[in-house]
This record gives sequence, C-alpha cells and structure tokens, in this order.
Amino acid sequence: MSELAIETHGLTKRFGERTALDGIDLDVPRGCAFGFLGPNGAGKTTIIRTLLGLTQATSGTMQLLGHPVPSERAQALQRVGAIVEEPRFHMHLTGHENLRIVAAVRGPETFERIDPALARVGLSERTGEKVKSYSMGMRQRLGVARCLLADPLLLILDEPTNGLDPGGIQEFREMIRAMVEQEGRTVFVSSHLLDEVEKTCDAAAIVDRGKIVTQGAIADLAAGGGARNELIVGVDDADRALGILGASALVAEARRDDEGIRVVLVGEPQTAAQVNAALVQAGIGVIRLEPVRHSLEQRFLEITARLDTDLVPEEVKA
Amino acid sequence: MNPTIAVRMVGADFLKLRKKRGTLIWALVLAVAPLVIFFIVKAVQHSSSPTEHSPAGGVGGYTDALRVLAFFFGPLAAIMIGTDGGAGDLAAGVFRDLVVTGRSRVALFATRIPAAVGLCWLVVLVGYAVTLIGTYALASGTPTPGGALVVNGLLFTLFSTGIICVVAVGFASLTGSRPAALTVLIGWQLIASRILENIESLGSSRKLILSQAVAHFSPISLNDGHGPRGGATVTMSTGTAVIVALVWIAVFCALGAWRTRTMDA
Repeated sequence: MSELAIETHGLTKRFGERTALDGIDLDVPRGCAFGFLGPNGAGKTTIIRTLLGLTQATSGTMQLLGHPVPSERAQALQRVGAIVEEPRFHMHLTGHENLRIVAAVRGPETFERIDPALARVGLSERTGEKVKSYSMGMRQRLGVARCLLADPLLLILDEPTNGLDPGGIQEFREMIRAMVEQEGRTVFVSSHLLDEVEKTCDAAAIVDRGKIVTQGAIADLAAGGGARNELIVGVDDADRALGILGASALVAEARRDDEGIRVVLVGEPQTAAQVNAALVQAGIGVIRLEPVRHSLEQRFLEITARLDTDLVPEEVKA
Repeated sequence: MNPTIAVRMVGADFLKLRKKRGTLIWALVLAVAPLVIFFIVKAVQHSSSPTEHSPAGGVGGYTDALRVLAFFFGPLAAIMIGTDGGAGDLAAGVFRDLVVTGRSRVALFATRIPAAVGLCWLVVLVGYAVTLIGTYALASGTPTPGGALVVNGLLFTLFSTGIICVVAVGFASLTGSRPAALTVLIGWQLIASRILENIESLGSSRKLILSQAVAHFSPISLNDGHGPRGGATVTMSTGTAVIVALVWIAVFCALGAWRTRTMDA
C-alpha cells in the first residue's frame, strides 16, 4: 500500500493558451490533514478537478490511494469522498433522498451508511426536509455526509468553510481533526484562508500561479523551510548587543527591527539561555527574550511577495 | 456494472424526475387537459346539435383523441420529461458529484433513459385512460373501438412518446441545457418537421423525419389527406420506418453518451 494518499508528478493542465497547472509535484501523506493553500485563481480547484477526473490533465501522472489515475480511476475513487467548490444538491429532494441517489450510484453496500453519515454530521433530525430549506452550513454538512457514504480513506474538500459563520467554521475544523485523529482518514483541504489551514492541518502545500511554491509540515513551512529558531531580544544597549551577538558562534543572524533585535539561533531553542548568559556577562541588561512564533500567513505573504517581485522583470520584458 | 446497481441507478433517476413537481404537473396537464377539453367541447356540440355533430366518444372520438395524445400533446409531455432527465443533474450541479463516485459516465447517461421513459409512459397512460373514458362514456350508442384497436392504440401511444422521450434525453445530455433542448425539440416537433413534411420537393427524403416513421405504425388511418398532425404523409415500408426510428434513437443516444463522457464536469 502506498504511503501517499495523493501523488502527482509534472501534472500540467492547460486551457488553450493559459496554463492553469504547471508541472505540479505533490505528495500528500496518508493519515493527516493536508492544506492546499493559495490565493484565488492559483489553481487549487483545477488540481482537485483534475485529480477527480472531472477534467483531463494535459500531461503528467497522478495517483490516488496508490491507484494511477485515470487508468484505475474507478478503484481509486471507491474510497474517496469529495466536495468540489460548493456542495450542490437536487434542491427539490430531501437530504436523505439526495444521499440515496449517490448511494445508488456507489453500490448497494452504501445504503446502510446513509443514516450513520447523517448522524455523524448532526443532520439526523432534518433528513426529511427538502434541501432548499437548508442553510449553507447544513448543506456543507450534508456534503460531508455524502462523502462519508464512500467510507473514505481520503476526503478532498475544496474551500469547505466558504459561507460558514464562525461557529460553523469551528465545528468544521473539529470535524476534520476528528476524521484524521480518531478515524484515521486523510483530509485534503484547499483554502485561501491561511489561518484556517494553520489551525486545521498538519502539513500543507502553497500553490501560486499553477505551481507548487513549497510544501511540508506546517511548522517547517512557517519557519521558512527548516525549523528556524528565532528570538526577539530587548536590551538596554542595542549597538553593543548587536556586536556581541554578531560575533557569537551560537547566532546565525542578528539584526535590529521594530521590536528589538531579531536573532536567528544556530542550534536548538535551548541555546537562547546561552545567548542570554553571554549578553549578561558582557554587562548588557536584557529586558526581553521571546521566541518568535512563525505564522504561516507571514511566510505566505513573503513567498507571494517574492513571486510578484520575480515576475516584474518578465512583465517589463513582455 | 451489475444489474442490481443498474436497477438502483434507474430508480434514483426516476426518483429525481418523479419528485420534480413542476415538470410532472405540466407533463400531466399536457397529456390530460387537451383530451378533457376535446371531449367536453365535442360533448357540448353533440348535445346542442346531435344531427350536425357526432357523439364525442365512439370510434370517431377515439381516433381523434388518439391523434391528440399520440401525435400532439403526448410527445410534448415526453419532451418535457426527457429534457429534464437528460440535463437535470447538470442543471442542479450534481453531475460532478456523481462522476467523483468513480462510476462510468456512460452508465450515468444510460440510466437516465429508462427512468425518463418510465415516467413519460406513466403520464401518457393517464392520458390514455382519459381517452378510453371519453371514448366509452360519451359513445351515445355509436360503435366503440374493439379490444385489438385499444391495445394497438396503447402500444402506438407508448411507442410514439417513448421514442421522442429517448431523443429528448440524448439531445438534452448533448446540449447540457434543458431550456435550449426544450426549445429546439418543441420547435422541431411542432413547427420544423411539419414544414418539412409539406415541402413536396423534398420527396422521399422526408422519410427521414421521425414523425413520419412513427406515423407508419399508427393503428388509425392517417391517409385521409391529413398526415400526422395535419401534415402530408409520406409512404414508406415497415423496414424503412423501423430503420429511421432506430437511427434517430441511436444517433441521439450516441451523442448524449459521448458528450456525457467527454465533458468537463
């Protein structure tokens, strides 16, 4: 059994002259919540549609749960549940009837999963009502119930919190975490909401203009590739402190910023104590010594800003 | 795909159509209301002037009512249901959710046909029941159709509506748009094919018109100067009529299946 839930190599999708996906290499490990992060129009939905066979790739290879797609698409999708863009239903039918339709297409064994799936998403009381009377949040939950009919090893959710209120977003987050931690499923979540991915996912890939910019564990991504240990140091004599820190073998980088001196440590976080000792021994008063918590948002903005800058010469040439 | 899954999928497609109240009510109105109006008008005319107007029922009434049902309004009801069956999943936006189950797209298309035809026939049966009620209840002592004619008339009505329903499913799947398919097919059925039937210079090529092939199987005489729906009648052999009907079905099923298989969902 493949260790990867999703694996793509050189996946490319062109719409006429426009390249929507440009040689995507993506590895999504099993048993985690994986965020697929990118601004609107970056290619998030296109890759999901391509993986699911809703549109054909121009070139490249892909595997879902170890099955090559599209050659073994039917086997691959047997244990995959997906919501692409907003969940859509036959509005004139009830929630239960909508699930019966999908169960009929999936196979007879699926029918017995309808009631547990509806209970799992908290819709047992409303299954007899027509979907047109459901709120957006209820439709999202019904969409998840529809995914659960496959007893999925892999759930693919495209912008799942769109249109949800804060309570609904929190509920959805908890549901995703429970699916990963308690039920051992893999959840692939595309989103343009950095905070959402950071709070829900274990790992992520950042996509922009059809290319994967970076991928890895959330902490590594936020730190900028390797897990950087950074400190904000507040002192009573910044010039002297910069001299001492710059000469220290414990410090990779030290520079002044708005909050004080930003120090990148060479070693483990515990090295901060040695840095503190060195400053104190030099007679410098240390007012503040605070580890920097990297946010994915910061990193994302750095990456996309860099891409924008990189693009400028090309645009000028054009 | 095993038969159990096929039956369940047809059942699911039937459920979608059966529960679509607007389509079902309008199809029933098309299949029933014109017949009711026809019998009421004829009954009133007969009661006001029995010598001038024949009874609403009897063989004469049955023949006229069958024309109304099998050539005019039954096919319109079939088009309504067929286009909904062909484009309903796309219109609701759920086609992609069915595709991501991994089920073959051709299977998703194929199961629409029996579901739509099944519902179409249920609706048409109601119309046919009204035809029979009017025929026998309003016969006023005139001869009524025998059992063979009643059975043949029923089979012919099911044939004429079923075939246009299949064409409608295929065409709506091809266009992906119910309004477009509905407009084109109603325009074809009510206007274009009627015009073509009457262009004598087209000669035997008019045999390719579906309603002409269908009319060949009619149990009631259409060779009284009025073809199906009042147009000209082109004579053709049974073999030709069968081939023309099969070609229409095959072409539209193939186009619908091809589009369903290749479209971006």
